[in-house]
Amino acid sequence: MTARTRLLDREVAQAMSALSAAAKKGLGDLALAELVMIRASQINHCAFCLDMHLTLARKNGESEQRLGLLDAWEEAEELYSERERAALALTEAVTVLTEGFVPDAVYERAAAHFPDGELAHLVGLIAAINSWNRVMVGRRIPPGGYTP
Amino acid sequence: MTTHTDDTTTARHAPELPVRLDWAGHAPEVYKAMVRLDAAARRGVDPTLYELVKIRASQINRCALCIDMHSKDALAAGESVERIIQLSAWEESRHFYTGKELAALELTEAVTVLTDGFVPDDVYERVAKHFDEPELAQLVAAITVINAWNRFGVTCRMTPGHYRPGQHG
Repeated sequence: MTARTRLLDREVAQAMSALSAAAKKGLGDLALAELVMIRASQINHCAFCLDMHLTLARKNGESEQRLGLLDAWEEAEELYSERERAALALTEAVTVLTEGFVPDAVYERAAAHFPDGELAHLVGLIAAINSWNRVMVGRRIPPGGYTP
Repeated sequence: MTTHTDDTTTARHAPELPVRLDWAGHAPEVYKAMVRLDAAARRGVDPTLYELVKIRASQINRCALCIDMHSKDALAAGESVERIIQLSAWEESRHFYTGKELAALELTEAVTVLTDGFVPDDVYERVAKHFDEPELAQLVAAITVINAWNRFGVTCRMTPGHYRPGQHG
């Protein structure tokens, strides 16, 4: 598979990196950040992003079992904390807006585990990875190009 | 312009839902990066076309605030009511739009709804006939950015109806 185009405006790329960095820093939980980014990339079918964030998660010491079962996290509850599951439910709702608004129950579940500041950054992180998914899938950037 | 705040109509309307979260206040660095990204992504994209793209993506993602904002901005910039109204059925209203706009709208839908499959080759090839490579990369970025705003707007339940055209430049 070859890329459709590898062009991405330098300022756009820098602003997107700043967006991701600010969101990740404010969330303050790297392991969770990677789970969120992998789950969104699964839903959006972004090969490049999956490759990148699986690589990063493994490098950070994430377990193969938690990575492998992430696509079925609701059926593998014992592998993820309640806080992580609340974040994953929010990730799915915010990523798939076409099936309805972000439900109150999903939002409230996340709000119960994340104070407003962390929650705002979590929403930012979900928006950021969704953005990377779109610029990578849209341009069809092949997986494997990322080195930590 | 009559809005939902008009005294004669509000009596029969449902109450306004409260905002869930002041995300920009709680994450100012994230907001700053979004503003910077927005400014970078719109460079080189035809503003008339971009308003149509923003309205269409916001319709698909059902972002009430974004629909409010971009419909008003489009009208203020001289866009026709008809072209805005017909956007949600553009495939059946092709004669309202140029070939370039139609190709961009088709790409907007594909890049916005990634869950239904990848961005199809035929969609990409059609739009590539109307935009050169740097323009097309920029259009993909521009579609991406409105999708990001939509996510903040919907998740934090930002309230529509209060936007004044040009408020955010």
